[in-house]
Amino acid sequence: MSAATPFAVLAVALGGALVVACLEQAVAGATVSPRVLLRRAWRQVDQPLTTARGHDAWLYHLAPPLLLLAAVVALAMVPWAPGFRGVELSTGVILFAAAIAYVTPAVLMAGWGGGRPLVVLGGFRFVALMLAFAMPLAMVITAVAAPAESLRPAAIVDVQRAVPTALVQPLALLLWIPSAMTVAMLPPFDLATAREELGGGAFGQYTGVHAGMVALAQRILVLALAGMTAALFLSGWHGPLLPPAVWMALKTLAVATLMLWAGRRSPRVELDRLLSLAWKLAIPAAIGAIAWAGLVTLLFYVP
Amino acid sequence: MSSLGTALVFWPSAAIMLVTGLYVFRTASMARAGLLLLASLGVEGLIFLALASEFLGVLQLLMMSGEMVIMTFFMVMFMPDPGGLMGMDMTHEKRRSAALAVAVAVGLAVVAVVTDWPAQTLNGEAPDVRQIGFEVMGRSMFSFLFAGITILFAMVGGTLLAKHGGRLGLPAPGGDR
Amino acid sequence: MISLPVVLGVGAVMFGIGLYGVLGQTNAIMVMMGVELMLGASMLNLIGFMRYAWPDAASGAFFVLIVMTLMALEAAVGFALVISVFRNRRTAELDDLTDLKG
Repeated sequence: MSAATPFAVLAVALGGALVVACLEQAVAGATVSPRVLLRRAWRQVDQPLTTARGHDAWLYHLAPPLLLLAAVVALAMVPWAPGFRGVELSTGVILFAAAIAYVTPAVLMAGWGGGRPLVVLGGFRFVALMLAFAMPLAMVITAVAAPAESLRPAAIVDVQRAVPTALVQPLALLLWIPSAMTVAMLPPFDLATAREELGGGAFGQYTGVHAGMVALAQRILVLALAGMTAALFLSGWHGPLLPPAVWMALKTLAVATLMLWAGRRSPRVELDRLLSLAWKLAIPAAIGAIAWAGLVTLLFYVP
Repeated sequence: MSSLGTALVFWPSAAIMLVTGLYVFRTASMARAGLLLLASLGVEGLIFLALASEFLGVLQLLMMSGEMVIMTFFMVMFMPDPGGLMGMDMTHEKRRSAALAVAVAVGLAVVAVVTDWPAQTLNGEAPDVRQIGFEVMGRSMFSFLFAGITILFAMVGGTLLAKHGGRLGLPAPGGDR
Repeated sequence: MISLPVVLGVGAVMFGIGLYGVLGQTNAIMVMMGVELMLGASMLNLIGFMRYAWPDAASGAFFVLIVMTLMALEAAVGFALVISVFRNRRTAELDDLTDLKG
């Protein structure tokens, strides 16, 4: 890791957020126009901030930067190419999970700082959702790290040189994708934070630069989760003909498109049903996924 | 980590940790108290990272976010004035508790300074993940098993306590679900 | 410049702050927050010992893991108790729970 790595990560964050926004336009059927997006973002920042009377100003102002910080730190953990592995830590995958976990207090702060009852409720609903879905997220990380015998994302990528983890541990992938979509506040799991919800969701009180920060953070989160999915499940940068970075970019874009597209085909899932599915189905299945990962590791990966 | 790097991370983090920890008990808003505790214990994770314990620092960061969010939830549920706008006083025995706290802190600090600690210097990293894993699965396996069983009991017991009918399964009075 | 007594001193202050909360707060949940601070201080001490005095002891790291687990466990059981008490007494204030007082 060189001194330029943080700046490179920031560049990937900003550029990647634009790419994700263009993907959203494409998936929605609109014409893809980065210029329109940038102009809209610029105008967004110009708008004034509105605040509710008696709201908690500290939490209101601290939530979007925290969300942005969490998204960027998560993105920094994603390994993009053998030469550019982000900020490499020997426990990188756990720091990724930690950064993703900080989305929850950020949304809670956004909700509480908003001050209006429905906005506060939106924040609480997101917390309830994330408490349920953070567990499969962390357990699946454990499951995919087991064959690599390491918590370094690049090592997990390298162990998939022959076979991607998606084929060896399909249950883990099946649990990971909805959890990742819930963290990234993507439909159909975004009941708590969607703008169309009552009161505007947990971010309903944000306008201007705060709303811009939240939107940027959400796009970076999608990018980080898609990139990590490609790294953990789809063999990362390994592939036959093209250079490694191109493979990684293609896989990340494919996962991001899948996550953005899947929500448009189904209505928003109700909170009760989501929580029920998470606690009663996803977590026991995640325990099973860990057991399966252990079995697979002992049989195939340990020499 | 170089000693300058460690110092650069340690001193501000320690200051933030202590100040936010103190403000947990001095703020009236309950959401703020929970999130200040998150700040305090999360920054402690950064101190762990500075003191060459990478795995434990990252784990602390991960766990504290979830725990403190739950705590904030519960405080908003069960405190009489969660918004902090009514100026209620939530403390008792102020002077005695402060005096005792200061006395204990000073006593511990004196013990820390006076004792003759062994002066082994760290040549590499503190035990990394691999060594911790071997330790957990090897020598400390008994404690690990015990902790696992304790967690199971705590989960089951906590759920039973929190269930509507209590552990006897009786219907709740007052007709709530 | 940062040595073991410094780290232990910071831990001592944090322990004192936690103790101030445990002794001084009336609500059960605030008391639990004080306990979390005290356990955090003990973890800091353990990490300090591992870094400056006994670098080869992976059992210190394991102890920190156990303390972290205990923080979560104690919070969970404490919250369950508070729920139960609140359901029966409509209050979580420790000053109102005086059944066993002499």
